[in-house]
Amino acid sequence: MKSIFISFDQAYYDQVQAILSINHVRGFSGWESVIGRGSVTGEPHFGTHAWPALNTAIITIVTDEKVKPILEELRELNATSERMGIRAFVWNIEDGM
Amino acid sequence: MSLYESSVRKPVMTSIIFIAVVILGLFSYNKLPIDLLPKIETNTIMVMTTYDGASASDVETNVTRPLESSLNTVSNLKNIKSTSKENRSIITMEFDYGLDLNVVTNDIRNKLDLVKSYMPSGAGNPIIFKLSTDMIPVIMLSATANQSLPALYKILDTKVSNPLARINGVGSVSISGAPQREIQVYVDPIKLEAYHMTVEALAQYIRMENLNTPAGSMDVGSDTYALRVEGQFKDPSEMNKIVVGNYNGKTVFLSDVAVISDKHEERMQESFTNGVQGASIIVQKQSGANTVQIARDVKKMLPEIQKSLPTDVKLTIINDTSDNIIRTIDSLAETVIYALLFVMIVVLFFLGRWRATVIIILTIPISLIAAFIYLALTGGTLNIISLSSLSLAIGLVVDDAIVVLENITTHIERGSRPKTAAVNGTNEVGLSIIASTLTIIAVFLPLTMVPGMAGVMFSQLGWMVTIIITVSMICALTLTPMLASQLLRLDPKRSKGFNTVYGPIERLLDKLDEKYAQLVNWAVRHKWIVIISASLFFITSIIPLAVGWVGTENFPAQDSGFVSAVVELPVGTRMEITKDVCQKLYTDWKKKYPEIDIINFSVGQASSKNIFGSLFSKNSSNVGTFTLRLVNLKMRTRSAFAITDSIRNDIKVIPEIRKSTVTAGGGMSMMGGQSTLDVEIYGYDFAQTDKVAAEISKRVSKIHGLANTTVSREEYTPEYQVDFDREKLALNGLNIATASNYLNNRINGITASLYREDGEEYSIVVGYAPKYRQSIEDVENIMIYNNQGQAIRVKDLGTVVERYTPPTIERKNRQRIITVSSTVSGTTLDKAVNDIKAELKKVDIPSDITTTIAGSFKDQQESFGDLGALLMIIILLVFVVMASQFESVTYPFIIMFSIPFGISGVVLALWLTGSTFNVMTFVGVIMLVGIVVKNGIVMVDYINLNRERGNGIIRAVVTGGKSRLRPVLMTSLTAILGMLPLAMSHGQGAEMWKPMAVTVIGGLTVSTMLTLIVVPTIYTLFAASGVKRQHKKQKRQAIEKAMSIENK
Repeated sequence: MKSIFISFDQAYYDQVQAILSINHVRGFSGWESVIGRGSVTGEPHFGTHAWPALNTAIITIVTDEKVKPILEELRELNATSERMGIRAFVWNIEDGM
Repeated sequence: MSLYESSVRKPVMTSIIFIAVVILGLFSYNKLPIDLLPKIETNTIMVMTTYDGASASDVETNVTRPLESSLNTVSNLKNIKSTSKENRSIITMEFDYGLDLNVVTNDIRNKLDLVKSYMPSGAGNPIIFKLSTDMIPVIMLSATANQSLPALYKILDTKVSNPLARINGVGSVSISGAPQREIQVYVDPIKLEAYHMTVEALAQYIRMENLNTPAGSMDVGSDTYALRVEGQFKDPSEMNKIVVGNYNGKTVFLSDVAVISDKHEERMQESFTNGVQGASIIVQKQSGANTVQIARDVKKMLPEIQKSLPTDVKLTIINDTSDNIIRTIDSLAETVIYALLFVMIVVLFFLGRWRATVIIILTIPISLIAAFIYLALTGGTLNIISLSSLSLAIGLVVDDAIVVLENITTHIERGSRPKTAAVNGTNEVGLSIIASTLTIIAVFLPLTMVPGMAGVMFSQLGWMVTIIITVSMICALTLTPMLASQLLRLDPKRSKGFNTVYGPIERLLDKLDEKYAQLVNWAVRHKWIVIISASLFFITSIIPLAVGWVGTENFPAQDSGFVSAVVELPVGTRMEITKDVCQKLYTDWKKKYPEIDIINFSVGQASSKNIFGSLFSKNSSNVGTFTLRLVNLKMRTRSAFAITDSIRNDIKVIPEIRKSTVTAGGGMSMMGGQSTLDVEIYGYDFAQTDKVAAEISKRVSKIHGLANTTVSREEYTPEYQVDFDREKLALNGLNIATASNYLNNRINGITASLYREDGEEYSIVVGYAPKYRQSIEDVENIMIYNNQGQAIRVKDLGTVVERYTPPTIERKNRQRIITVSSTVSGTTLDKAVNDIKAELKKVDIPSDITTTIAGSFKDQQESFGDLGALLMIIILLVFVVMASQFESVTYPFIIMFSIPFGISGVVLALWLTGSTFNVMTFVGVIMLVGIVVKNGIVMVDYINLNRERGNGIIRAVVTGGKSRLRPVLMTSLTAILGMLPLAMSHGQGAEMWKPMAVTVIGGLTVSTMLTLIVVPTIYTLFAASGVKRQHKKQKRQAIEKAMSIENK
């Protein structure tokens, strides 16, 4: 079991959800408004007057074989535009109930 | 989820809501009536009191003065004026506009009740008379006739007046100028004397012969029959056979001593239309009825009525109030369409995208149509004010949408998806849109609270624009992002044709951006040069106003296609002579001015039954009143004002005419006539004030640009008076009452009885034949019989002398007054006032006489005072709105610098177009405050944003300025071009809104150009010093900290 943490601009929520459901991922937890800034170029997402954009973050726990296709498709989505700024990180999950 | 986010996410809901608004608005529009102006309650109430037998000065002391002092305590009273003439006192009270006159009327009634017991016993009950705009005739017809003239009144009454009165909404239809039938018994006094008869006896005989008497009922067989004597005349000629006495055993018939004439009443007003005598028919509406609808119905009915009339009777429309309304509204509607077109072109020019243009243009109909809902709900009408508010608003409503769409487009161009771009783009500019809308509302909402006439006019404008702007803001925050997210594409494919057309424009705009960025870059590095030259420009631009090259006036005069003229011959001139002079004027004018469509004039005394005529228009045997209707504005080259001036000169050369007033516009509406200037002379003594008035009038009439100088006090009227010697009267067993009654019966005639025909009644009047009452001798020879049957001539009882009666006494605010009034024509109000002031200084005025200048000048001072106060409040409010948005007082202060340049633009525009500074211009200036500030807000807000994003001051200013250039230019251009049709229009009523449009265009053009340079420059100045101060503070704190550590 692995967990995938995905952080993206609020506007791509639907696309990200679509990727998850194509890969038969049903369960997830999310934070609708998350602030953040990219390490190098990414435009700040602060929800302020100067930087009005906000991110959404999703964490989902999937079986190991699903990780690769999901990341693949997220990378594809991110590549459609320079400014997408989708980030995904994977952890190991040790236990659960 | 924010408003724009949910609307982007729910496109169906958003569109359905707006479609519903549009449907509701169109439904309301369909129901809206058309009118010229918003409903205006008049501000005048009159109190009329009769006091029979009293002279003017008696009426003044015993009736007018006590009434005035009591009525003066009515609240909200502005002016109280009165005229006291023989037998009658009329008090006119003027109130502030916008009051509930019903409450005022009650108040007046209470005050009158209080004072009633102190009035002289002979005085009648004071009658309260409320003037209302409903009394202005809707339509005035003239009926001309040749053979049918004697019966004209009856024909018109049954065939025209009755059907018209049945039209829905028509209040009354009155006929004037048509001779009413009257049967005169013209007595020959010499024969009467020979037969020892009196006029009274003849009248008595006629009365006794003209009777229908029931004589009871009788039973005949099985039936009951009523018995009646039908003695009434079946034909006036029957009267010839009335036996009026015996002389030497022979019967004397009425025809032996008198001639029966079945004609019309002797003293009457005669009215001529295009030289043919006829009558005028005046249609008035019921209170609250719609003028245009009534006029339409009347006109629809006319052909049918015309068919039923005898062939020689012709009906013509002399004055149709709805004509002016319809033409004015049509030409305004035209400007609205043009404005829409111009705005569309501007948007397309700057965006170069059809879809974007459509998205923005959609906000226009939606917000304008929403305003119709407001109008329908409040019972408003489509009028000059509501339509010009639409025209004004067109340029403003797209502003918000443009800013939003422009920002969304930038986001898309930078790579965002349309939906993200829509939400984020709107979010970025949302606050500044709300703020700029609030500043506009801060300008227009206070307009709804202005007192006085200006308030009545502009409160609708204030509401309309406030609503339109609010709706447009909501549109920009919901509909625009929603449509943008649906319609805009990342890289729309452009056709080749489009590229060849738009390519150069795009390059031009890009170049403009570059050049502007360079200019701002230079400006922020040479702050002081920019600031000093801008201040110099401001000071020089104000010069035309300071030096007086730009004149002032109250309301602009309006060419409504009417000219009215009143000519007065010397007092006491016979009607026939007045008529001849008027006929001559008619033929001269008809030849000289092909622009004249219809000339209508009336001469003579209005009958006592015609209250309207006797109260409101001057009528007397020596007065002729003209109404000239000109052809449609588009079909003539000379304006009504030019024709009026020329007519004035025509009248001047006619020696018979002593006094004349010619005004363009005709008093049909409360505004739009030419300005008048009155010099009011207050003083008790008749002789003294007369002398001063004559002197002032002489001087004022010589001032260039003032016409129609008249003195309000009437001349002394000559009259014959019979001075009876009481001793001689008593000796003959007579008294004044009997003697004067005899005189009245012979000269004026005695109404003996009524002749009935077809259900109508006509007076039978017995009196001397006209040729026996034409000289003093005729009066002196009148025989008066005493109780003993002895005949005594008037000359044996007293003397007949010619005397002058003192004129009407006029008072204003409880002081006697004479007004020297004149019409401003060919100069501006302020110049004329200065000239009059200079002349007044030269006149030697006794110490107990005071003079003031009133008329349009006073109205102007009042409205300018109101509007000036409003301007201050609005500037303050705009400042408050901006300060709260920026959470700072510095930025609003910077933005406020665009206002003076707006003023420069206004002055220059007025000077170049030769316009005057008037109430409409003032309103334009007020609106300008909101519009010019908007540009500043958009710029400063974006510069601030750039600084928050971490840019340095100069970089933030230059890039911010550059990226805001297009929206600023676009919004300014839409506002300017949206108003251009108003400024250029030559249609009916254009004079009214033209100055306002010229003001806004001039002010906005200059202020936009300068704001683009000056605001960034001043911003840098303030921001730089702010940063320096901050640095100093930090430095000081660091030093203090270091020192405190050291101390430890």
